[in-house]
This record gives sequence, C-alpha cells and structure tokens, in this order.
Amino acid sequence: MRIAIPKGRLQDRALAVFADAGYDVPDDADLKTRRLVFDRGGIEWIFVKDGDVPVYVEHGAADAGIAGLDQILEHECTAYQPVEFPFGRCKMMLIAAPGAPPLTKVATKYPRITRQFLDGRGVRAEVVPLSGSVELAAVLKLTSHVVDLVETGETVRVHHLELQDVIAEISPRLIVGKTFYRTEPKLVRELIARVEEAVNVSKV
Amino acid sequence: MAAKPRYPTGVHPLLREETARRRRIEARFVDAFAAAGFDEVVLPIIDYVEPYASLVDSAAAKQSYRFVDREGDLVAIRADFTPMLARALAPSIADGDLPLRLFYRGDVIRVEASRLGANRELFQIGAEIVGDDSVDADVAMLRLASELVPSPSIVYNDVSIASTLIAQSDSVRDALAAKRMTPDVPAALRTIVGKLISGEATIDDVAPFAPEAAARLCAISDALGEDDVFSLHLDDIDGRSGYYTGLRFSVFTNGAKVAQGGRYDNLYERFGRRAAAIGFTFTIDDLD
Repeated sequence: MRIAIPKGRLQDRALAVFADAGYDVPDDADLKTRRLVFDRGGIEWIFVKDGDVPVYVEHGAADAGIAGLDQILEHECTAYQPVEFPFGRCKMMLIAAPGAPPLTKVATKYPRITRQFLDGRGVRAEVVPLSGSVELAAVLKLTSHVVDLVETGETVRVHHLELQDVIAEISPRLIVGKTFYRTEPKLVRELIARVEEAVNVSKV
Repeated sequence: MAAKPRYPTGVHPLLREETARRRRIEARFVDAFAAAGFDEVVLPIIDYVEPYASLVDSAAAKQSYRFVDREGDLVAIRADFTPMLARALAPSIADGDLPLRLFYRGDVIRVEASRLGANRELFQIGAEIVGDDSVDADVAMLRLASELVPSPSIVYNDVSIASTLIAQSDSVRDALAAKRMTPDVPAALRTIVGKLISGEATIDDVAPFAPEAAARLCAISDALGEDDVFSLHLDDIDGRSGYYTGLRFSVFTNGAKVAQGGRYDNLYERFGRRAAAIGFTFTIDDLD
C-alpha cells in the first residue's frame, strides 16, 4: 500500500493521524533527509505537494492519501473520501478589493473552482491564475476580487479586504483511490477503520 | 537524425509493432463476438449534439470535442458509442428483429484524459444485446465480458438501489459518492446508507428499499454460481448513474479497470422505440 502525505500546512497533522492509527510513519530524522519515499511497516509513504495528492490518488500512483477538499475539488478528484478530519478546517471565500469594486477579474490559486463558482452565479469575469500571496492581487488592484482559503481572516483584515461570499467549507479528508478500493477491499476497510478510530480518540 | 514529430496531447500514431498488437487484440474480440452471434455495426465519427442533449449531463457533455459545422449545426466528435447506437438503431427496429446482438469498434475522443498518461483518443470495442430484458441476457453479457481478457475480475451492482435512496433524499448522493456519512442523511436512511458505505450491506439489507433490484441481483448471482471472477459489490456506487437503469459492472485485469457496462432499459425509448438493452465497452489501449 502506498500512502501520499501532503507537504506543507497539513503534513504534521497527517502524519500524526497515521501514527495515532498505529502505523509506523517516517520520523523527524527521516524527514530531515531529502528523500521523498519511505518504506515503513510494509507501507510506502510518499511526500508530495499538497495539491498533488489528489492527482496521485486519482491516477492510482498512490493508493490513499490525505488531501484538502480545496485540492480535491480543484483537481476534480473522484477518489472516495471516507474520513473527514476535524483539524485544518477553513473556508474558500470570495474576497473583494478595498472599496468593493464590481466583480470583473478574480485572482486565485483555484481557477477551476473559481470558474465553476462564477458560472454558477452567471457572472462574466476573468479568472487570473496565481500561485501564491493571492490577496496581494486585490490589494494592488491587479484584480477586483480574489478567491482563496480563509482560516482566521487575519490576512484579509490587515489588507482591508472585504469577505463577500463563502464558496465552500473546506476540510482535509482521507482519500482512497477507486481501483484500490475495488481490488484490495480488506486493506481499505482496515485503513479506514484505524484512521477513523484515531480521529475519534483524539477528539475526546 | 530527424526530430520525432510532435502531436497534440493524448494522441499518437501506432507504428508497425503497436498496430500489429492492436490488431491482434481486436481480432481476439471480434472472433469472440462472432462466435457468440454478434453482428458488427459502424457508427459515424461525428454527430449532432442536439439529439443527445437531454440524456447527457453537462459534465459528460464537456468531455466531448464540439464545433459548428459548415451548415451552422453544433456537432461533436464521438465520445461514447452507446447513445449513438441507440439513436441510429431505434427507428429501424422491427418487432421481429429483437433481440439484436451487435458489436462496434472505433475511436472515441475525450477532452480530458480520465487517467494519468491516458490517451485522449481511445480505441474501444463494445457489444450489446437490444430487446432482451431477461436475467439470462445479464448473465450472458457478464460471462462474455469475462472471456475477453486474461484473469479478469468483474464487480457488479445495480444502480437502481442507489437511485431509489437518492430519490428519497438527495443528501444520500454525496454520502455514497464520498463513502462518508453526512449529517444531512435522514434518520430513516442512516442504517442502510451506513451499511452501503462500510460495505457490510447484504442483499437482505437493501431488499426493503429496492425489492426488484434485490431480487434481480439474487437471480444473477445464482445464475453465475460459484465463480470468484464475479463479485457483487453493493457499495460500488457513483453519485450519478448516467443512462444506466439497472445492472452495472466493471471489468478489472492486473489491478486496472479495462471495461465497464450495464443495463440501460430507457435509452432506446428516448429515440422513439422502446427496447431494453445491456452492453459493455472495453478500452483496448489499456490491454496487453
């Protein structure tokens, strides 16, 4: 079984979940090396950029992984999402530049979600794909709006931006590839049961 | 040495060895279909979009290449054989013709590859039985599919179970598609939905909700007998069933899905002629 761990924001929590579930996960010393693949307890742990987890799992290059709903939606990932985690929750929001100009251009790391949201509203606006510090686009008037994840809202407040709409409630999920689910039902059931158990215990 | 020619993403020529390999596989399928009494039909590579508008959901429609032809009509390159065959066949079927056993082969083009490294141009071979709604036809198609590839494993289910539950509450769709219980699922359905998600559900569990589908699955399973090629997975559910109305199955070999099929008893009616139908399609690019 090959499990994809997202690097970055969710990495520590993701590893903690599997450790709580009794899996032998790579430790800090392992992670200080620059390797990206580790064999522990019969499982191959791979470390990939958070947005790539749904891609690996969708295409069967990894059997399971942990991914945020933002990345699952953006990649139109059809893998199963059997466990939703209580940590790392945030909102995907439409945020306006200071003075709330009319919606004409939207900067975002999530062009597909943004396009679907705009189409759903029947709004004609240009989507400007960026790869980071998206709020700056609105601050510098590159675009009238941005679509991004909001956790505490601090970035938005500091830059005097305006929260306008919640597009989706985002939470990380355990995702399991469809083919793996069909071909290794026993392994899948055990994985889900152990991860679910770990989540329920840590909630108490 | 001259540079290798470049091609658009997802398409490539087959040179001598690859073509020979493709033809070998094709011949194996054609022989098997002919032996089982199936006749070949050929369908056009492009067709109007409009006749299919009502039965293709927008997500699937976006998978096809569409353009305006010289007469100003919106046309699409073939992306799915099954509805095209229904439209072509429905007006010309005479009562005495049924049941019909037909097969077809050719390329389909999809805008977005559904698998990593998957082609946009896919070579498919499919077969269907039109005008036979019996369990025998279901079993015949399952068995035929199992004979076309080495060491197959076939997972089957009935889409009407999920659609019956979704009809009671739309929240069931998301729960079944994600395989995770959500707070919106009504109390009366939580037990059965929970069992379908966890994979514990048995035919007896679903029988109260979808008695016809349960009885049918029992009959199919009895007819297949003890055979570990076939397994009933009541939890094998997609959020949307498309034009499928009953039995739905996938064929795996070497851990990869190579074919899918099922029953679509209402499809022909939409093109003006009632006829039950069941079929499957293999994507040959995925086979050895």
